[in-house]
Amino acid sequence: MRRSLATLTELARLGFAELESASAGLEELDMPGLLPHFAVAADPDQALRAVLSLRESAPPEVQSVLDDTDAAGRLVQILGASTGLGDFFARRPEQLDVLHTVLTSPPGPDSYDSDLLQSVDGLTGEAAWVAMRVRYRRHLAQLAAWDLCQPDPLAAVDRVAAALADLAGAALDAAILVARNEVAFPADDVAATRFSIIGMGKAGARELNYLSDVDVIFVVESDGDLTDDRAVQIGTRIAMATMKGINDLATEPGLWEVDANLRPEGKDGALVRTLDSHVAYYERWAKSWEFQALLKARPLAGDRELGQRYVDALAPMVWSSASRENFVESVQRMRERVTANIPSGELDVQLKLGPGGLRDVEFTVQLLQLVHGQTDEDVRQVASLPALVALAEQGYIGRVEASEFALDYRFLRLLEHRLQLSRLRRTHLMPTDPDALRILARSTGIAPTADKLIEQWQRTKQAVRRLHERLFYRPLLSAVAALPDGGIALSTGQAEARLAAIGFKDPRGALKHIGALTVGVSRRAIIQRALLPVMLAWLAEGADPDRGLLAFRRLSEDLGETHWFLRMLRDSSGAAERLTQVLSASKFVGDIFERIPEATAWLENDEDLKPRPLAALLEEARAIVARHEGDADAAALALRTARRREVLRTALGAILGMTSIEEIGCALSDITTTVLTGALSLVHHYGDGIEFGIIAMGRYGGGELGFGSDADVMYVYRPAGASAEDAQRRAEQIVRALSKHTEDLRIPLDLDVGLRPEGKNGAIVRSLDSYRAYYARWSLTWEAQALLRARGVVGDPDVLEAFELLANEVRYPAQIAEQDVREVKRIKARVEAERLPQAADPARHLKLGRGSLSDVEWLVQLQQLQHGATVAGLRTTSTLDALLAAVHEKLIPADEARKLRDAWVLASRARSAMTLWTSKTADVLPTDRQQLDAIARLMEYPPGSASRLEEDYLRVTRLARQVFEKRFYGPPSRRPTEG
Amino acid sequence: MDKQRDFVLRTIEERGIKFIRLWFTDVVGTLKSVAIAPAEVEGAFAEGLGFDGSAIEGFTRAYEADMLAHPDPTTFQILPWRGEIDPTARMFCDITTPDGQPAGSDPRNVLKRSLAKAADRGFTFYTHPEIEFYLLKSSKLKGGKPEPVDSAGFFDNVPGGTAHDFRRRSVRMLEDLGISVEFSHHEAGPGQNEIDLRYADALTTADNIMTFRTVIKEVAIEQGVYATFMPKPMSGHPGSGMHTHMSLFEGDTNAFYDASGHYQLSRIGKQFVAGLLRHAPEITAVTNQFVNSYKRLWGGDEAPSFVTWGHNNRSALVRVPLYKPNKGQSARVEYRAIDSAANPYLSYSLLLAAGLKGIEEGYELPPEAEDNVWELSDSERRALGYNQLPASLDHAVSIMEDSELVAETLGEQVFNYVLLNKRLEWKEYRAQVTPYELESNLEML
Repeated sequence: MRRSLATLTELARLGFAELESASAGLEELDMPGLLPHFAVAADPDQALRAVLSLRESAPPEVQSVLDDTDAAGRLVQILGASTGLGDFFARRPEQLDVLHTVLTSPPGPDSYDSDLLQSVDGLTGEAAWVAMRVRYRRHLAQLAAWDLCQPDPLAAVDRVAAALADLAGAALDAAILVARNEVAFPADDVAATRFSIIGMGKAGARELNYLSDVDVIFVVESDGDLTDDRAVQIGTRIAMATMKGINDLATEPGLWEVDANLRPEGKDGALVRTLDSHVAYYERWAKSWEFQALLKARPLAGDRELGQRYVDALAPMVWSSASRENFVESVQRMRERVTANIPSGELDVQLKLGPGGLRDVEFTVQLLQLVHGQTDEDVRQVASLPALVALAEQGYIGRVEASEFALDYRFLRLLEHRLQLSRLRRTHLMPTDPDALRILARSTGIAPTADKLIEQWQRTKQAVRRLHERLFYRPLLSAVAALPDGGIALSTGQAEARLAAIGFKDPRGALKHIGALTVGVSRRAIIQRALLPVMLAWLAEGADPDRGLLAFRRLSEDLGETHWFLRMLRDSSGAAERLTQVLSASKFVGDIFERIPEATAWLENDEDLKPRPLAALLEEARAIVARHEGDADAAALALRTARRREVLRTALGAILGMTSIEEIGCALSDITTTVLTGALSLVHHYGDGIEFGIIAMGRYGGGELGFGSDADVMYVYRPAGASAEDAQRRAEQIVRALSKHTEDLRIPLDLDVGLRPEGKNGAIVRSLDSYRAYYARWSLTWEAQALLRARGVVGDPDVLEAFELLANEVRYPAQIAEQDVREVKRIKARVEAERLPQAADPARHLKLGRGSLSDVEWLVQLQQLQHGATVAGLRTTSTLDALLAAVHEKLIPADEARKLRDAWVLASRARSAMTLWTSKTADVLPTDRQQLDAIARLMEYPPGSASRLEEDYLRVTRLARQVFEKRFYGPPSRRPTEG
Repeated sequence: MDKQRDFVLRTIEERGIKFIRLWFTDVVGTLKSVAIAPAEVEGAFAEGLGFDGSAIEGFTRAYEADMLAHPDPTTFQILPWRGEIDPTARMFCDITTPDGQPAGSDPRNVLKRSLAKAADRGFTFYTHPEIEFYLLKSSKLKGGKPEPVDSAGFFDNVPGGTAHDFRRRSVRMLEDLGISVEFSHHEAGPGQNEIDLRYADALTTADNIMTFRTVIKEVAIEQGVYATFMPKPMSGHPGSGMHTHMSLFEGDTNAFYDASGHYQLSRIGKQFVAGLLRHAPEITAVTNQFVNSYKRLWGGDEAPSFVTWGHNNRSALVRVPLYKPNKGQSARVEYRAIDSAANPYLSYSLLLAAGLKGIEEGYELPPEAEDNVWELSDSERRALGYNQLPASLDHAVSIMEDSELVAETLGEQVFNYVLLNKRLEWKEYRAQVTPYELESNLEML
């Protein structure tokens, strides 16, 4: 029969997981009084196993602890939370006596210091190291016991962290003492070498983890006659021996890594420097992020007076660093580099570096300190929590935010502490195994189950991710408007410093815009106060934040009183982000937005950003004309507005990456067709004596219009009742009226009739018969080539069809004479030589340059002239479709066609991006770096890609040119000379 | 780096340097120099020195381009020939765009990029050039021909000769500039000399070659003679090559060495050589970049006109030399086409890229050429599968134009500038009526 201390159900309730063996273990332990202690241990099973095995190996020491109920409780807590400390006691059972004394609060630095120094008294070498390390861990166990027994562990986080930093400092002091006695230099010289260890990072901030690298910098100084060189020499030995004392192999394992890589010049720099040499380095060479690191500097061990002088000497440089050019950018880039090094699988479980991790809190707080610490000494705190408090007290951030984030920070740190305590390993990864999570939840005491813990962690991460915006951007508003949560009040100068730091070129102007947007008690101002912080963050990431903010202000002034504008921005973060993105990326869009502010509403809905089908556009045009019957000017105005609106829609889709370059070409061509259809119906209707048609030519004919392209057209008519003379006169009237009704000064619609027969000398409009007669008699090859892109788009269907039939005879000849092919090639060669603008670099000209648009188009058109009669697929006005057909027909090999296509698409996209960026059409890829960068962003490259875009463009077009030369001009006629 | 900068600034003070020359190299391999005052050096380190960057485009530059020159403090040296009056120092520069990105047109950056690529694969690239040049009495021609300072031959010791003093003085000056000299001797042609630089990583070697050319020219001036690196100054006498020994290291291990391999050449070494051979024709427009280069390449003797490799074969393009036993670390291969007028940055980039390509794609090494390839007939060579190097600059440029390897390695901008420069040179050459034509045609026709 077996006498159970508790039923399995009871054991489960207490938190045991392996019930059967727990039951057996408890029986073996035979101390029922300890059961409640297991119930509060992080991992009761582990605690039980550890107690049993400890008792087996060191019965008297363990029994003595177990007989003291309080001490036993502490032992069970420690063993349940930390196998690392369990191993320590297994190695050193004599240290178990430390559990008899209870800590009421962590001892201060002095008490740790004197105790650890005492531990190495009279010892040298490994014996000294072992003694110091054992003493360190004895204190660590005592501190852990205190930590684990806290009723509110969150509140204790900073005290534990401070005690850990003090303990680390004490260990270093003891190690220095041992090192000084050991270095092989005359004792007098060693004594005359002043040696100080500056704590950096968490050690410097006095917020250390249970186990992390301790970041340090070594400073020496000669005290007396010693030369600096000699002092550095001796100091280097002391530093190396100190590092060995802390972490070299010995019977008691090392404590932690002493990391001196934050020193000037990092790993390559001298390990130890004099104070002067440090100062000289920072005065001259230090990078912005190095100053950020210095923010945490504090005398940690060794000569405190020297350490203090180090801190005092460098502090002014730290606090003026934020005024350096590109400060924020450089600091941010450093941070991105850290984040980029996290393996992607770890991103979600990283407590420290992942999104919403500890680093986010620290980074934001430090950035704010650096920006405002320039002028305000009160925010110059080394530790994160006091810094948050100081920033709030001085009004740089909201009090509510400050206390929220302090809590989030404590929460994340507590998780980190417990994870590290568990095995005394340096880790920042949340476990994924449910068992481990359950134990973590129990050990923190803030969530009852693993699921709840994860839930709270996710919530915290989300909050922290918004931290930067809430702490950095939101207070900007306080410079111009009172914020409801009082407290914050940045001065104008302070706000301008922040704006300049994030990339606004004209912070004063920006602040004015922010003021205009947020001052007052109107609903608009109130909502914008809530929105603007995050929008400023997005704008700052764009190519031109200043312009974006100005454009936003204009929009808001137009729309702020509408019911939907602010609602949309407030409720749909997607729309708000898109708005900032397009406004800071494109002048073109900003300009049209001013005219059609209501288009902002589309940003909320992807469907609204896609080009509308031609049928729907035509239906709208028809309705407009019908609506304004009898008032042609009003109708023309309405048509113009509709056109601007649709162009804007296409531009937005293009910037947001929703519309491909082919869809853009098609959409802009459809829009032009719609306007022309509407305008024509104002001045011509079926049965007025003639049939009339508009033929799209060139890129318009191909459905390849870009933003700001001219529309190439030809006009054709056929008398239908009217006499020949009347018909011609009527047709000319129609053409004049068309120009008038389609005129738009803001987004010009230029109807270009340069491709008509006889070019500039020819009649503006001809009858179908006249075209027929002309092409039969005079036609030149270039006109046949131009007709390849002729497409009847607007007007009476019969005459359009008749024209296309006529065009087919010309452009798809059954046989093309060798002489005509040569003529095409010759004209192309001449265009290359003559048409390029003076001094333009052919490699960068998007239209006529090497391997760019015209090369691809001419090559395709030559195929069409030669094979259009027999290959149906080639009878298209679209360049890319014809190219596809040529591949299908094996006229051009697929890999070569791909090179041509890539070049055509890239050049088209670059042109489109350039127009969107500057609102002007230009054909040369700029050399200016800023312009290139902005264009690259519009082409979906990451920021800072000017050189990449340049290199890509030059490569893609070079490859296209190779294909073009081979296929168009033919292989070189000569064979290179042989040897 | 920062320690280096401190050192530079300190040295300028201590040594009373009056001028600092900032050196960079254009795509053709011409050394360019801007002199600045000591007070400007610190600023140049911190922010770079603004200048019209189109200066590196060679002869065809058309548009101004704002660029920054950033001196590389590790290259700081005091120029010994300036003596005690106005002591002058120099540093090589890296060129960047105003927004701090490496300039696409800077040859030094091309080599840095290539070396970084090799480093990504775990390799460091070492080179060791044997630089030949002629000493002439003057740059003025005599009877339409250059006049050499002596008429000695290979390894001849010329008593009291200019060349001996000249070499002694040059080697001394090179050593003063921190450039170690391995070897120097009289070469086969009259007035022809060779100085071998000690092996170093390819970037240092390229910098050293640029310095070397300047030193040789300066010493010549000092001694009242004239030095030329022209690839073939005299028909009938050997041209001036710059045979370059190359090796790849993986950490401390020579990746070309395998004690059990044929000629102790490892698989990596064989693939590297195979890469050199396969891509040799397309990189020749860079390694042999002048019209005159092809007069050397096709001048007979030991010039490597045919794409072959061998062990002791002095007609081979790539030679695998014998190492002393137990000297695995010195395993290397020698590329013999490159001439003394090449742009070392671009040439070394391409040689490295060709070799790496061989390793990456696992090219097979063709059989060794054991005969003197020059003595074979065209048909024999064809039967043995020996390709040939381009016959002229024109030919070389047309092959290079189609090379993705070259375009990718040089980057689009340098690739384009090289092509533009070399086409222009060919065009100007073609317009010449040469003494040869006049001599052989004028009277006959």
